[in-house]
Amino acid sequence: MFELTVAERHILGNPKMALFTVLSVALAVGVIVVLIGLTEGYKVNLIENTVENSPHVTVEPKEEEDYIYLYRTLTSIVDVYPEVLTASPRLIGRAAAKYKDNVEGVTFIGADPVQEDLLLRVREDIVWGDYYDLRFKRYAAVVGSDLADDLELKPGDDFRLTRQYVTIQVKAVGIIETGTGLDQTLVYLPLETAQDLLGEGDVVSEVGIRLSDIYAAPAIASDLNNKTRYNAESWQDKSRDILEQLDTQQIYSYIFYLLIFIISGFGIANTMIMIITRRTKEIGILMAMGADQAAIMKIFVLESLILGPPSVLLGGGLAYVAGKLIGNIEVPAEIYIANRMTVVLNLETFLFVSVFALLVNFLAGIYPAYKASRLDPVEAIATE
Amino acid sequence: MSKIIEIKKLRKVYGDGVELVALDDVDLTIEEGEVLSIVGPSGSGKSTLLNMIGLLDTPSNGEIWLKGQNISKASSKERARLRNKELGFIFQYHHLLPEFSAVENVMMPLLIAGVEKKEARHRAITLLEEVGLGDQLNNKPNQLSGGQNQRVAVARALAGHPSIVIGDEPTGNLDSKSSDMIYELLRKLNREMNQTFILVTHDMDMAEKTDRILRLVDGKIVCEMLRDGDKFVTRDLCKLDK
Ligand SMILES: Nc1ncnc2c1ncn2[C@@H]1O[C@H](COP(=O)(O)OP(=O)(O)O)[C@@H](O)[C@H]1O
Ligand SMILES: [Mg+2]
Repeated sequence: MFELTVAERHILGNPKMALFTVLSVALAVGVIVVLIGLTEGYKVNLIENTVENSPHVTVEPKEEEDYIYLYRTLTSIVDVYPEVLTASPRLIGRAAAKYKDNVEGVTFIGADPVQEDLLLRVREDIVWGDYYDLRFKRYAAVVGSDLADDLELKPGDDFRLTRQYVTIQVKAVGIIETGTGLDQTLVYLPLETAQDLLGEGDVVSEVGIRLSDIYAAPAIASDLNNKTRYNAESWQDKSRDILEQLDTQQIYSYIFYLLIFIISGFGIANTMIMIITRRTKEIGILMAMGADQAAIMKIFVLESLILGPPSVLLGGGLAYVAGKLIGNIEVPAEIYIANRMTVVLNLETFLFVSVFALLVNFLAGIYPAYKASRLDPVEAIATE
Repeated sequence: MSKIIEIKKLRKVYGDGVELVALDDVDLTIEEGEVLSIVGPSGSGKSTLLNMIGLLDTPSNGEIWLKGQNISKASSKERARLRNKELGFIFQYHHLLPEFSAVENVMMPLLIAGVEKKEARHRAITLLEEVGLGDQLNNKPNQLSGGQNQRVAVARALAGHPSIVIGDEPTGNLDSKSSDMIYELLRKLNREMNQTFILVTHDMDMAEKTDRILRLVDGKIVCEMLRDGDKFVTRDLCKLDK
């Protein structure tokens, strides 16, 4: 295989060109792997966020009804499933919060603190006070940190909540900071207090369920829909829209990745053409020595093939480093869904991108190699 | 002696608009083991003729027979095979591959032919020793002098035991001492191996050492001189002093 020997020598004889080709492919691979990793990371964060911060199954009122009346019965039906960790009846509504001259619109959640904490791990986000105080103090509230700031409300202050004709006064016994937009509107109340504010009696607006196995949610939701006339919805159903939207965006991303590869392919082809132009005379000499067209083609195709594996490996390395660096950057949770971007680097993505890159690399090398093999030996030798 | 090359009415025309006749119905027979020189003014078609014989170029008309095979219409693959098996080229500039050492350059035609690396290396070393470069085996072309490189090129041309060695002004770029050395080398190899040599040259002194001199003008052989002992016998009316 003299072709391999010549190809190797060409690469070693012109390390700059080789480096250029390697870098161009490596960059394409690196960028694409990181971009795919970011999208995957966003999905993972989104799911984690959904699973951590909202019920795994939400049971809502029957059709034509605004509230759940017999929620204790419903809870006992729900509790039968072995995967159910907790079922928390919750009353959610809107009200106005007033403190001194400040007024803000709020979303209140009335629930049993123990069950609500089991459902959403509320206490993990408490930055001041104790959510469990709501068990014993009927006119107490836990307030979102940004909402407290907007109201200029200090821990321990009393403030008023008004809904239509009902106004109640509650004491801020805790401040909660979830790191999401909820911090601007959220007020936790004891269930009875929320019911007072609503004035509809002993009702809730939903029962939130937490499961030991999040993937059991769709089955349990559909079972509940069959057994009762309530509307049960799994977290997968709730986030379906956004996940579908992500998938649609993914199509555009793939077109973008393809463009990156095409550009890198042209870069490689261009480099190969430059290499071949420089070596026209040598090609002629090899032909004079008896190298046929297939052999000349083989030499240059081999050159781009040899550079393939180091390119994709370097690309993988770049992606790994970039992924780690990006993962260390703090971003505001309001614009992303967590304080750190997650880059999911999995082997399959890398292999998939690499195979594609190798293919592009190979294809980009073929045309210049073909051109080289069709050179006229006399003219090639006469080239300076 | 048997005919190794027979050229019949060979014609080469360049250009599509204004036609330029580089070779004008040339007839020529070359015997095995002959050392032939071709002289003539620049642009007279010497290189063109040599490139045809060397299977680097194809005729516009006419035929070339090599060892009884009509090669004028051979496929590109077959021509490459014949270049490798039957022909050795020496150019005016050594045209060695710059990234390869002397021994690797000489090995190249053998590697192309599919000869084992070890065997090719052995043959290359023997040849380089024969051309007096046994101590420069691993030097690259840029580490050797012009004369040394041309000797490597000679060794390379001979590596595959070609039946015909063609040289287009093989000493055109060397001083007279190196030229003589190269010529003596070729002559010695010719005596030892009975190879056929076809040399284009400007150097009349060298031409006069060969067995036959052809003079080409405007794509035609205008004169042919044959060696007869120490003298040359002219076949047609012609002048050798260009
Ligand atoms: N590729 C080519 N295209 C057009 N004309 C050419 C080409 N090669 C050679 N010629 C012309 O053919 C003639 C013979 O050239 P050449 O064989 O190189 O002459 P010599 O080697 O005797 O100097 C010259 O007039 C030259 O200009
Ligand atoms: Mg010439």
